[in-house]
Amino acid sequence: MSSSLEKNMLILRSSDGEEFIVPEVVAVMSKAIKNMVEDECASNTIPVPNVDANILAMVIEFCKKHDESEAEAASDLKTFDSEFVNRGQEALYDLITAANFRDVKELLDALCQNVAEMIKGKSVHHIRIQFLGYQLFEILTSNFIWNIWCDRDFD
Amino acid sequence: MNFTMLPHDCVSTILSFTSPLDACGLSPVSTSFQSAADSDDVWERFLPSDYRDIVSRLVTPLKFSSKKDLYFLLCNLILIDGGNKSFTLEKLSGKKSYMLSARELSIKWSNEPMYWIWESVPDSRFSEVAVLRTGWRLEIHGRIETRMLSPNTSYGAYLIVKISENAHGLDSIPSEISVKVGNNVVSSNTTYLRCPKDDKKKRQMQSLFYANRTQMLRSRLVNNGEDTRVLPSEREDGWMEIELGEFFINGGDDANEEVEMSLMEVKGYQLKGGLIIQGIEVRPKH
Repeated sequence: MSSSLEKNMLILRSSDGEEFIVPEVVAVMSKAIKNMVEDECASNTIPVPNVDANILAMVIEFCKKHDESEAEAASDLKTFDSEFVNRGQEALYDLITAANFRDVKELLDALCQNVAEMIKGKSVHHIRIQFLGYQLFEILTSNFIWNIWCDRDFD
Repeated sequence: MNFTMLPHDCVSTILSFTSPLDACGLSPVSTSFQSAADSDDVWERFLPSDYRDIVSRLVTPLKFSSKKDLYFLLCNLILIDGGNKSFTLEKLSGKKSYMLSARELSIKWSNEPMYWIWESVPDSRFSEVAVLRTGWRLEIHGRIETRMLSPNTSYGAYLIVKISENAHGLDSIPSEISVKVGNNVVSSNTTYLRCPKDDKKKRQMQSLFYANRTQMLRSRLVNNGEDTRVLPSEREDGWMEIELGEFFINGGDDANEEVEMSLMEVKGYQLKGGLIIQGIEVRPKH
């Protein structure tokens, strides 16, 4: 397969064995992959452990869009980003870990900003129930010292 | 989504997109939140981008052990530039405000002791204030560069004054106020330096002797001096403030421009005195 591969294309293999053919310019938006390519320690096929096919496809979609639309209006890209990151908690978690692990800064920033919007202005209890699956009992017994501490600076 | 399983860097990045209030308030969520909420990475984002420059201009150096520490120290009033400016961060938003002392302003004839004297008063944050003994022209200008201020923020400029007991001539005709950014006048209006007293006798006398004159003088002012909605208002620190105007600081890499904030009363020709000037405050407007 690699013989028929066009120049400047790379194959990314997800943790569950699926392969994606991606232009090199898109793949190197991941700093981790960029380093591998620059150090020439990558053959044409680059394994991407810890990231399954589903998530890898999403990451590639994001990078492709950002690569293509360099010349496009920034507002279009913003709309794309905000739609792209509008996902369920599970997918967000997987995407954040993937973006962090592969070091795709633009994606990581877009995702983290989205999560930040979700937690802004919320109470600790709210976050614990919504994101951490805490039960009422744990909240009632939660350490009240923290609450005193966090009130300290904003009296 | 289980935040506790996210790498530390990710939690820091998430918190750095929230606000100082959120970062402090949410730190008890989990140990990963707590360590991220104290981290320098997060607070570096909340501090103004030029905080190193500001710290280097402090009159009294600050001792701090973390960026978070520094943030809360900067939220107190601090003096910079040899004590001629004060600086503070707004605690909730991290936006910058400054006050330029009277010494930083350009006040016409302020070095002529016949017209202006410099005094130290106990409730001023600066060592000296300018006191108008007597004079017939008031020209006060303050200048600040846009890059000193927080981006994407609407600012108001306020002249901080007091009126002494023997004040005179300050409420005869309105003063002209304006704010210029670069070469554009972004706001202009008129104001009274003190609210005209509702003294019936005085008004009658004035209308009897000066009605025509006042009318004529007013007609020379912006908006004929009619639109004097700006009146001095009381501050918590015992001083009065007069809003000179407002302006917006854009984000991004816009060119640095000079903001000029002015108060002029040069058309009345009556003698006036008893105005005490502490400085001009530039602070975010909500």
